[in-house]
Amino acid sequence: MRKRTDSPPLGWELRPGRAYPVAAPSKCAGPTSATRSHETPLGSSTPHASCLDLWRQRNDQLVRQAKVAQGLSLRRQQLAQDALEGFRELLHCLQVLETQEQLEPRLECGLSALWDSVLHSSSLLPELLPALHHLAALQAALWLTTDHLGDLTLLLQTLNGSQSGASEDLLLLLKTWNLPAEESDAPLTIQDARGLRDVLLTASAYRQGLQELITGRLSRALSSLHEAASGLCPQPVLVQVYTALGTCLSKMGNPQRALLYLLSALKGGSTWGPALLEASRLYRQLGNTAAELESLELLVETLSITHGSEAPQLLIEVELLLPRPEPASPLYCGTQSQAKYLLASRCLQTGRAEDAAEHYLDLLALLLDGSEPKISPPPCPTGPCMPEVFLEAAAALIRAGRAQDALTVCEELLSRMSSLLPKMPQPWGNARKGTKESPHCPPWVSATHLLRGQAWVQLGAQKEAISEFSRCLELLFRATPTDKEQGPASNCEQGCTSDVALQQLRAAALISRGLGWVTSGQDTKALQDFLLSVQMCPGNQDASFHLLQTLRRLDRRDEAIALWRRLEAQTKLPQENATWSLPLYLETCLSWICPHDRETLLEEFQTSLLEPCDL
Amino acid sequence: MADLAPQVNYLAGFCCPLGGLAAGKPRVLCLGAEIFLSTGSELVYVYDQEAGLLTAVYRFPGQVWHLELLALRRALYVLCAHRGIYCMSLDQASRSVSQDDGDDGDSEDSQDGESPSRMIPVDPDACVLHDATLCTFTVLDNLLITLAQGPARWKVQLFECPCPGEDPLLKGQIGEVELSTPPAGSPREPAAPYFLPVLCCMSPPGSRVAHSHLHGSRGFTLEETLFGLLFGTDASLLESPVILCGLPDGQLCCVVLQTLVTSGLAPGDSKALVKILHHLEEPVVFIGALRTEPLAEDVEDSHSDCLVALGHHGRTLAVKASWDEAGNLVPELREYCLPGPVLCAACGGGGRMYHSTPSDLCVVDLARGGTPWDPMQPDTGPGGLPSLLCPASLSVCSVVTLSVSSRAPEGGTELLALSAKGRLMTCRLDLNSETPSPTRVTAANTGRKIKELLSGIGTVSERVSFLKKAVDQRNKALMCLNEAMNVSCALLSSREGPRPISCTTTTTWSRLQLQDMLMATCLLENSSDFSLDRGWALCIQVLTSSRALELDSASSAVTYTIPVDRLGPGSRREVTLPLGPGEDGMLDLPVTVSCALFYSLREVVGGALTPSDCSKDPSLDMCPLDVLPEQEGICLPLSEHTVDMLQCLRFPSLATPHMQAPSLLSPVSDPVDTFLGACLGPGSKPAGPASLRAAYLPPSVAAIKVSAELLRATVGDSYSGVSLCCATLQWLLAENAAVDIVRARALSSVQGVAPDGTDVHLIIREVAVTDLCPAGPLQAVEIQVESSSLANMCQAHHAIIGRMQRMVVEQAARGSSPPDLRMQYLHQIQANHELPTASSHDLVVTAGQSPTRSAGLDQRHPLCSEVRPRTQTLDPKAGALLPERPAEAMEEQGFWS
Repeated sequence: MRKRTDSPPLGWELRPGRAYPVAAPSKCAGPTSATRSHETPLGSSTPHASCLDLWRQRNDQLVRQAKVAQGLSLRRQQLAQDALEGFRELLHCLQVLETQEQLEPRLECGLSALWDSVLHSSSLLPELLPALHHLAALQAALWLTTDHLGDLTLLLQTLNGSQSGASEDLLLLLKTWNLPAEESDAPLTIQDARGLRDVLLTASAYRQGLQELITGRLSRALSSLHEAASGLCPQPVLVQVYTALGTCLSKMGNPQRALLYLLSALKGGSTWGPALLEASRLYRQLGNTAAELESLELLVETLSITHGSEAPQLLIEVELLLPRPEPASPLYCGTQSQAKYLLASRCLQTGRAEDAAEHYLDLLALLLDGSEPKISPPPCPTGPCMPEVFLEAAAALIRAGRAQDALTVCEELLSRMSSLLPKMPQPWGNARKGTKESPHCPPWVSATHLLRGQAWVQLGAQKEAISEFSRCLELLFRATPTDKEQGPASNCEQGCTSDVALQQLRAAALISRGLGWVTSGQDTKALQDFLLSVQMCPGNQDASFHLLQTLRRLDRRDEAIALWRRLEAQTKLPQENATWSLPLYLETCLSWICPHDRETLLEEFQTSLLEPCDL
Repeated sequence: MADLAPQVNYLAGFCCPLGGLAAGKPRVLCLGAEIFLSTGSELVYVYDQEAGLLTAVYRFPGQVWHLELLALRRALYVLCAHRGIYCMSLDQASRSVSQDDGDDGDSEDSQDGESPSRMIPVDPDACVLHDATLCTFTVLDNLLITLAQGPARWKVQLFECPCPGEDPLLKGQIGEVELSTPPAGSPREPAAPYFLPVLCCMSPPGSRVAHSHLHGSRGFTLEETLFGLLFGTDASLLESPVILCGLPDGQLCCVVLQTLVTSGLAPGDSKALVKILHHLEEPVVFIGALRTEPLAEDVEDSHSDCLVALGHHGRTLAVKASWDEAGNLVPELREYCLPGPVLCAACGGGGRMYHSTPSDLCVVDLARGGTPWDPMQPDTGPGGLPSLLCPASLSVCSVVTLSVSSRAPEGGTELLALSAKGRLMTCRLDLNSETPSPTRVTAANTGRKIKELLSGIGTVSERVSFLKKAVDQRNKALMCLNEAMNVSCALLSSREGPRPISCTTTTTWSRLQLQDMLMATCLLENSSDFSLDRGWALCIQVLTSSRALELDSASSAVTYTIPVDRLGPGSRREVTLPLGPGEDGMLDLPVTVSCALFYSLREVVGGALTPSDCSKDPSLDMCPLDVLPEQEGICLPLSEHTVDMLQCLRFPSLATPHMQAPSLLSPVSDPVDTFLGACLGPGSKPAGPASLRAAYLPPSVAAIKVSAELLRATVGDSYSGVSLCCATLQWLLAENAAVDIVRARALSSVQGVAPDGTDVHLIIREVAVTDLCPAGPLQAVEIQVESSSLANMCQAHHAIIGRMQRMVVEQAARGSSPPDLRMQYLHQIQANHELPTASSHDLVVTAGQSPTRSAGLDQRHPLCSEVRPRTQTLDPKAGALLPERPAEAMEEQGFWS
């Protein structure tokens, strides 16, 4: 470890009036003030070494050192670090001079005004031009990162000497920027103005392309991104550009070409999250589920690796000028838990229940397990709220045939939230005694009971299942609160409180209980539940089918025929239930209670019920 | 409330600045027997409570704003203003203890603060986070949460926390989010904030960090119910700690720590991550949590069930979870007003919160609202918050930082406090004992008792001295006000006759450096029975008339304020100040010098309105003194004196040989001119425009004719025995220093030098005026002014006219009647003059016939209108006598007698 000494950063002391080098702990020596540099100190042994010369000597030496030091070995990094330190000292010298010069009041008037006054002054010395352009390039880099593009365009227009009304295109301005040649005796610089201009060109083309991609001007985005890719582009940036190109092409409806770009992005060295995410979207679009899930798995893996700190950059590179990825950007791939959630839910949606269950359990472990030192953020706020993740996990487990585990997950959710649940004055028995309104309960609590019931159904415990369904229904049919804002706790419940979702939840619970009664042979009770569910949710055909079957079993022909006619009429109408967006766990749940073969059921019904009637 | 009297023990005294310590920055923390303390300076002290001595003093490179301890890792984190966060191992601190133990173990040594030999400068390598914008931070297990003043907004950042001795640089930022409100101050240069923001960490009971976070001053574990209610389902499900931020603008917001983790360096979406809980509308100085309900028997660890936040002016927020009639969980939110300004606060056990104001340390009981004696409180349901808080005084004043000691005695509380005077003390409260149990008196017991009594006396005496000082200040201010009233009455009631306090102004020429200056000397004389004390000031306003040659320039006034530092009855004070000429060599005459006495209420009363120890409270800068506007005071005018040309004339030609006056220096002391003049040598012609004009242009002349009778009546009393011309000249130059010589030589004409160096010639002769009076020719005196400079001629003319006016007014007051005049002829004269110079008729009568052509030019010159006498300076009585055109009237009246 390097030990810093507490010597002053300047290797010399300030002595007003006289300017001469002082033998100091630092190897860097020089006089105090450049403003007095032409007054050669009387007692100095080197009469021509003005402080400016000394400064330049040191500068050139450091530049050579830094140019040698570009590399990855530790020794070279150390060398580069030393050079950086040296430059800092030199800068400090200049700052000392600046404070002597009292520049502050002029700086007040803003950078663009300052540039304006410099560039429009009539007495601009021609030998200052290279330095001025170099400074302008640095200014351009700064303005590019701070999004002062208007100022930047104006500056470039002035520098190009073009008249007003000239091109406003930043890329064109950068390309036509004619930099004056450096003089041979100028001080050495680490990065010359031309290199800087090329970096600026690439960075601004990329930024512009990204911006156009976000705002939806796809063809312009494509050309800007191509411009960026064809310029001076380091590998990591090229990967980003290819990813953006892929996104752009897939939005334009060219999935195959998009895939090509994404693949070349992925081939470009270290695996790059956004490209994987975009690839998964593309495969999903193309219907290639296996490839989609594979890319998502890779994404999760990629995001679990924490990238180490990079070597300090000495030069201004394109990466430095790029914007930080924001959630709105196509190059945002989120966190590991978000990717994991995406993977798990896709598995559940595509019917890979075993995988889904595993991924959900992994996700829950990632979020809740305290043993790991690293903490992970939840899929919130863009994704579902935490109770939904639990519910989806439970649904996936039931679907994978792991009912016991699903019960555990539900138990965990309820126990964690027990303190937040409303107080039930008398939980079970004499609840009916109190005529007061019952407390409001979040819908996910009811959903938990629904899933528990389903788990019991899978385990064959009809009695427990029916009691869970009853509990669910009891909570669901309580008075909903009149005022929605219930303090800070109700932040994540907008998603599940939509009326459609609540209706479907009630229907699902009623049908589930009805099916439970059917299994235990209590058809009248089942009939009651199915009837209720049809009233509750007339659009839900599942309830009607179950009702139909029960009616047939109970031999109530007239009602059955009436219902059958209604159903026939309904099935001929176009289906529109796809427009609902239900929570994933509810969709899964609804898929279980759906009668398996509606068509055969209808036909069978027709033959067995109607024919005797016609006879 | 006898049971609330704390046992106060002084442990040590620390250096504090002159005005005492300011609240906000000092911190005191305690870990076992060790106390870590910072007073807001660069030093952090480590004090061993058991050994009773200061074991180490660390010097940081900047002001220390915040301290945090991480007991498990045995690490101390220090926020250094404008630098960053430093991390030190506590074992390192104890090493230096053992090293120092050998020197001296005398506890007395700790009394004088730090001894330089023990000062340990902190290694710059210990800095784990360089950030000049950091305002506060907190540590939580392996996480470091900082609040920084971003360019536009407050910024919460999350880091992985390094251990002391590990890789010094942080492993990297994990997350970042910006708060919604911008910090005060300009974004360019974020100033050091008056009030630092406050961070506080709230953990749910199940959180893994809750168990390891033992002694942090800013961490609390909240009950599940309250936690879920405040921070939402997700935070409870994730069992994630929550960071509460109290901002200086009063906002109280929270961030769920686990949602703050972001990928890469992208900042989180502040809308989704930051939730505003409340707005206190005054700077938040403290956030804490309390246990207000009694614990169930079987529960081991107590979690807080009430969140509290304190504002600087005493507004207090308390939140508890409760159930409404339907059984729904609802937050119960209450605001209280405690006496402010609150310097610091701490949460103790049993629902008690301690808060300190400049005058007292108070305790409020949120469990029972400080009113345990009334169990029938109607609206305090079980578990509810009290409707009113009654702070109980602990009789300790000016505590700037507090912390609840971990070494609490059984059934009581021990507070560690640092007073504004830099004294570290422990306050032991035995809140449970209602009646003091009779204790057996043992020798050790007695010793302890005496010690307690003594320190109790110490606390009381500190408080008494503070109050006494305030009373003294007020008494003094009242006395001063009384005297000021006496002086004002004396001055205002004596309109007739000599005033009890007077100020007379005289002028003299004196040489300052290389230039002759006209000095005004104001003599303030107090002949009243009262003395002018502190708060009185003599204000002298010098009003220069606008320059004649620059028509548009307004007259300029300079006011000098000289404090009168105790002027007893009968004593006098002299003030001399330069009147000019200025840098350009011009002296714009006439100059009016007005003197007035000013009594500043701000200076005398201001001190009493601001109690001495509130002065370090930054918010009070704007409070009581706003009652007094900037310039508030009593102003009593004393005198007004006009300095005109006749008083400024110098007469080098009259100088007697034995008192040779030093040669006059040209006021235009441009060294180049002087040099050139010297080079040209005597005899050669000077080259300036003024001298050219003097050489080639004839001088300007003005003449005034005054009735000899009138003059004689004025002058006659005192100037008998000399000719009327000589007497007139003496009368004119009465206020000039040269009057004695003029009198001695009986001169009737004199050659003087104006302030700018040009000559002015005054010639007085007797003439007879015919045609004016039907009774025959009138005896008159002609006063002729002659100067090569027109401006000087005008100024001299103006001065003479001023005297004439005064004379005429005096004579008119005596009731003399005018002689029979041929008014027609007078009008004719005026009309003759008015024709060519319509704009400058004021001058008409006074300007006599010029022997040369230039005199006509003078009259036509529009600038001459500037010579108009200033009627405004006269009495209203005299003004009423004068017609619109005073100069005209003057001549008319001049021939009356």
